[in-house]
Amino acid sequence: MIRIQKAGHHGILLPDLNIGLDYSGTKADHIFISHAHADHMPRNRKLTVYCTRPTARFMKLRGFSGKMIEMEFEQPLETDFARITLYPAGHILGSAITFIESDDGSVLYTGDYRTPPSPASEGFKLPDAPVDQFITEATFSLPIYKWKSHEELAKQVCNFAKTSLSDGYTPIFLAYNLGKAQELMYMLKGLNHPMQIHGAGFKLCGVYVDEGFDLGDFETYNRETCEGKILIAPSSAPDTGFASNLKKVRTAYCSGWASNEARRTQLTADELIPLSDHLDFFELINLCEKLKPKKVWITHTPNPKVVEHFLQKKGISSGFLDVEALGND
Amino acid sequence: MWRRLEMTKPDPTNSFKRLSNIAQTIFETRGNNAKIKLAADYFQSLDDDNDLLIAAQFLGEGAFSDVSGKRASVGHRTIAVLASEFCEIDYDLVFKPCRTVTGSSSETIQKLFNNLPEARAKWSNGKLTLQETSDIYEQLYITSKRDLKQQIIKESWTKMSPLEVKYFIRIMGQGSLRIGFETRSVVSAIAKAFGKDAEKVRYAHMITGSLGETAVLAKTNRLEDATFELFHPLSFMLASPIESRSIENFSEYIAEEKFDGMRCQAHISGKKVKLFSRDLNEITGSFPEIIDFFATKNLSEIVLDGEICVFKNDTIMPFQHLQKRMGVKKPSQALLKEYPVLFVAYDLIYNNGQPLFDEALSQRRHQLEKISQAYHLPITSQMEVSSLSDVEALFKQALNHGNEGLMLKRKDSSYEYGQRKKSWLKVKKPSGSLDVVILYAHAGSGKRGGTYSDFTLGISVKDDDRYEEEFIPIGKAYGGYSNEELVELNKRIKQLTLERFGPTVLLKPELMVELEFEDIQINKRTKAKYTLRFPRFKAIRWDLSPNDADTLKDVERMYQQKIDKERTSQTKNPSFIMND
Repeated sequence: MIRIQKAGHHGILLPDLNIGLDYSGTKADHIFISHAHADHMPRNRKLTVYCTRPTARFMKLRGFSGKMIEMEFEQPLETDFARITLYPAGHILGSAITFIESDDGSVLYTGDYRTPPSPASEGFKLPDAPVDQFITEATFSLPIYKWKSHEELAKQVCNFAKTSLSDGYTPIFLAYNLGKAQELMYMLKGLNHPMQIHGAGFKLCGVYVDEGFDLGDFETYNRETCEGKILIAPSSAPDTGFASNLKKVRTAYCSGWASNEARRTQLTADELIPLSDHLDFFELINLCEKLKPKKVWITHTPNPKVVEHFLQKKGISSGFLDVEALGND
Repeated sequence: MWRRLEMTKPDPTNSFKRLSNIAQTIFETRGNNAKIKLAADYFQSLDDDNDLLIAAQFLGEGAFSDVSGKRASVGHRTIAVLASEFCEIDYDLVFKPCRTVTGSSSETIQKLFNNLPEARAKWSNGKLTLQETSDIYEQLYITSKRDLKQQIIKESWTKMSPLEVKYFIRIMGQGSLRIGFETRSVVSAIAKAFGKDAEKVRYAHMITGSLGETAVLAKTNRLEDATFELFHPLSFMLASPIESRSIENFSEYIAEEKFDGMRCQAHISGKKVKLFSRDLNEITGSFPEIIDFFATKNLSEIVLDGEICVFKNDTIMPFQHLQKRMGVKKPSQALLKEYPVLFVAYDLIYNNGQPLFDEALSQRRHQLEKISQAYHLPITSQMEVSSLSDVEALFKQALNHGNEGLMLKRKDSSYEYGQRKKSWLKVKKPSGSLDVVILYAHAGSGKRGGTYSDFTLGISVKDDDRYEEEFIPIGKAYGGYSNEELVELNKRIKQLTLERFGPTVLLKPELMVELEFEDIQINKRTKAKYTLRFPRFKAIRWDLSPNDADTLKDVERMYQQKIDKERTSQTKNPSFIMND
């Protein structure tokens, strides 16, 4: 079995293969970055990393200045110790799951992923070869999380925009500015209504368009002309004066966390749309069952025990990938 | 095909599922007027009076009307464990972490019932009418056997959708439905539904003590029938703190000492006597000497508003003594002897078949004095005041008597039952303050949504052998800070957060607060064994560290000091007149 180490906040290290996954330390020759969200991008901005073309472009726009070697999906890279292949992860544009094969077996590292995939992504695909060790994120790792289909969510998103506009209100979607924002625009483009997106998100939209994702009629947010357009902004924006000149607005908060009722009382949003870019609990358990790996390693969750408990009932061995668990062997 | 037809049939107007859907829509709707309209339309759509009665009660009160005194009496843990069995999941391993995230047992149950195939196989959709649901609560009330209660609940869950189960549990709890729609809004919805004056509906609610009955009276144009009935408690008139308003003309007010006792309403007709507490529960059995006292007087029909105090050796004893008697349903002879109580009246709200709420205080007082003299009933002393210095002198005298402070009551005010307005003002001195540390922050809702505005505060027990913790909770406070301070606190909270439980966060103990409160009471159910009454922020003490926090021993000392405080006897300048 390939040895796996959690390198604290620096990501994951496969020490015998000199491979780092979303890693920003100094002990790896080959570092693979799953996608361009801040918690997966290297902290050290000068590293040399491997990633997909969209991820490279996003990272550059977000201030990464190291060398980025672009990889195509399903086109393996051979190193002295291993063969590495990227598959689309369905999380955001460019997001990849990383498959590592060596003489000691295989590891599939998910980064963040979504299955069924986000419609504004390259889809979701798994390797055909058997997976020995499956390192999976488990952000929504409790059975209280079960998502509606993308069709239902897209309908809720469009209805919210349509109803607000016809009632004379400017709709504001609060969503993370890379991934969720563009997914919303992708869902909304059919309304053929002009959209304005907050500056931090706007600069990332070009990558989507270049990759062939039509995001509709959009421009960067302009306080003076935003009235009556569909607005998209990060959830912190209303606190910093975003569209505060408009009297009649309705806001929709779009996030997997929106499924918790407490969010409603914590936020002043008119609508909560539980649109997640992670898979839900049941999708996770099903995927593990389908892959039947020798071992599932769970990361990115405060509740690994719940996943372990359910996997155990299915006869799948699993553990929490933690610094203590695997650090010093 | 037949089955599909059955499934697409709209829910009957009187189904419990429809009520649950309405409640959920109200929760998801912003703006009070929009919420009221939803409920009003719903009330209007119910043809049957009995369905309306149940619907209004479920939305505003719970499984039972407040005055019925009935409870389903099913514990939170029982429900959670039953739900875990229903879902075939481990309570500790699976249910608990889910509840930690949502911060709500009923929401967790709704989601698990929805998501888990094991649960989905058991429940069916919307089988119950409002009446059938009400019958289930009634069965739970009648049954005292634990296993039977559990069986009733489990069986009822098989007939409900997960959304219904959520509201079934919340209604059963007799508390808030947590949909941002409280009693006042239900009253407004009833008024709107049947085109009635909200004030008249509110009046009928006060009199009947039941939102369900009130809704039916409004619907059938019989609001006027809601008349006060003897032996049915009426909501109390409440006082505002004097700080909130400066008095222009003192002579419009009359002063009374504010007793450190228990508010009580006495309904009397000859030998029949009933006592009601502030939350309108009957407390007759706890105070036999008061019952005997009134029963021997052979009074005609009257209702008195007043205070129960422990009165011994011509002295009003502290509230802490009265606590020994509170909640004791059948006090022993020894307890009666050690803590004898007295009912001191200060208002008369019903006399000889005539409600007096609309009469001026001076008028009510006049009648009260006459009865007091004729039947030898203790009543409060009333003092004229004409200036602030009068008030200050009387305030000192009240404190010397061991009383809490002073009440100022407008002579021309009517008895504004159930309301806290400016006709009655209380003059009180904060009883003390403690330096405490913030242990938990809770996200507020509504206007304060998204910010942590409620706080659980801790005192130090690190040198206390009785505890293993460093700090234990002593109370919860949610006021007394400025908006700027709240912003600053929220910034620090983000940095100090250790763990999240739904809307609550556990903090690294660091933020210090000077906490003001009215009183310290013993409360065996809390970790500290003491609770503070009316705690609120006096100041955020950025200058202090958790090492400066006051200790549980300090609290115990303050409590003892209060008990031991010397009290002037009632022989001079008495707080009340015995008239015996």
